[in-house]
Amino acid sequence: MVTCERWVAMVRAAAGQVRASQELLSNLDSHGGDGDHGTTMVRAMNCIEQAVAQDRSSSMPDLLRAIGWAVMGVDGGATGPLFGTFFMSMSDAASGDAALDARGLAAAFAAGLAGVQKRTRARVGDKTMLDALVPAVEAAQAAADCGGSVEDVLRSAFEAARAGAEGTSALQARFGRAKNIGEKSIGQPDAGATSVSLLFKGFLEGVTSHA
Amino acid sequence: MAMKKFINDPDHLVNELLAGFVLANANKVALTGNNLVVRAQPKPANKVAVVTLGGSGHEPALSGFVGEGMLDISVPGEIFAAPGPPRVFEALKLANRDAGALLVVLNHEGDVMTAGIAMEMAEKEGLNVKQVLTHEDISAPSRQDPRDRRGLVGCFPVIKVAGAAAEQGRPLDECLAIAERMERNMATLAVAVTGATHPSTGSVIAEVPEADMIVGMGQHGEAGGGQQPLKSADETAAIMIDALCEDLGAKAGDRLLVMINGVGSTTLMEQYLVLNGVKKALDAKGIGLARAIAGEFLTVQEMGGFQMFAAKMDDELLALWDAPCNTPALVVK
Repeated sequence: MVTCERWVAMVRAAAGQVRASQELLSNLDSHGGDGDHGTTMVRAMNCIEQAVAQDRSSSMPDLLRAIGWAVMGVDGGATGPLFGTFFMSMSDAASGDAALDARGLAAAFAAGLAGVQKRTRARVGDKTMLDALVPAVEAAQAAADCGGSVEDVLRSAFEAARAGAEGTSALQARFGRAKNIGEKSIGQPDAGATSVSLLFKGFLEGVTSHA
Repeated sequence: MAMKKFINDPDHLVNELLAGFVLANANKVALTGNNLVVRAQPKPANKVAVVTLGGSGHEPALSGFVGEGMLDISVPGEIFAAPGPPRVFEALKLANRDAGALLVVLNHEGDVMTAGIAMEMAEKEGLNVKQVLTHEDISAPSRQDPRDRRGLVGCFPVIKVAGAAAEQGRPLDECLAIAERMERNMATLAVAVTGATHPSTGSVIAEVPEADMIVGMGQHGEAGGGQQPLKSADETAAIMIDALCEDLGAKAGDRLLVMINGVGSTTLMEQYLVLNGVKKALDAKGIGLARAIAGEFLTVQEMGGFQMFAAKMDDELLALWDAPCNTPALVVK
């Protein structure tokens, strides 16, 4: 089961993953973007860690809302609203649950994705974070539907997110600022998709280290 | 890193630029809350408040439009990046009044998302806020979908006329209608001759080959196509005003407001030359140049080039454009 304590361990591990890849994320973003994605994501992770350190509530919706709100507070263009919405929408879906089982976790991820998709016109194949997030959520649901454990769900999600992020190398950006460099955007993975992959890598690590 | 700029720690860049901005304009603006830029003397609460948000690094935009006759509050974000929804919501709460507030949003992914979330929260809170989206860049590859048109320097005239209407005590619906009318009747096209660097990351945000210019480049170095050999001021002016007139459907007898907005290293001298070229091109078409303005209003660091703005004006929009204002970026007596 994913309790509040486990969520805290998961987001802390995710923060560690993002921090370790700050330079990579900024380098990927400098190709068509502003080169600030790594800095923005690290600021977002710092805000998350502050939020979970201050959060005294034992309610999962409150915890996820606090995390989402903290991410939203980062002044970093679309990054804060998108990643913040992911957590806020999970919070709406987790209403009343003290802990999430594998199915509940997969359902929460699906709700998070649905929230993100309401905010952006980007679709799979546009070379954005959705190219990692959509397959991750689908893989999480498939694992849960097959009776997998929380760890199975997170491992499936991470592997799909990583494959999705790596797959963006071959794509031409059709969304965001990178769209404007056209074919030159091909050859490197999308920074946002890479961040999603790192988040799920951290979630998996957090759950396994906090079993 | 080829960057040659006077900065300190990039993490403190926005805080430091805002502090200096307020020092330089102490009789007009002040900082409050979480880096919200407000008027030094607040407008009476029985008048509509005008609020905007947007990335930093474009000085004097957008906070330079705060002051009598224009904005009440600006929410500056990080360099070239929109602020998050919590600070925009904070601004909307601060602006809250019976007369209501108008939120001016430039069409960029982050700005629109942040504004959307802040507006949802304002609605939940029962705040009386309306939003106007500026998206007047005509270089977007697919002109069919207005959502692909970016918001460039046109936010400035929209804020000017809406702010003047608010100052006159007009109700929110009228202020919104005026802002939307200005927005519908305006168009902007940008041209770049040299690139720029992101001041905190050092990333090159635009590259222009030595002998070329790029027509259609946005304010973050987004290429909009149109790379061609550099032309004279008159030729460039003619190419650009033709495209703007065509987009606006401007015809003989129409009266235009034209703005040449230098984006960084193009000199005022060049801007005047281009404006003069615009006048000649308009004269040839029989289109009137009702008002003209040149200067730096929305910049892109050291980028070379300018944004050419044109709008079809009516008597009311002209009167609102001419109305007094007292802001860091523009003073009309």
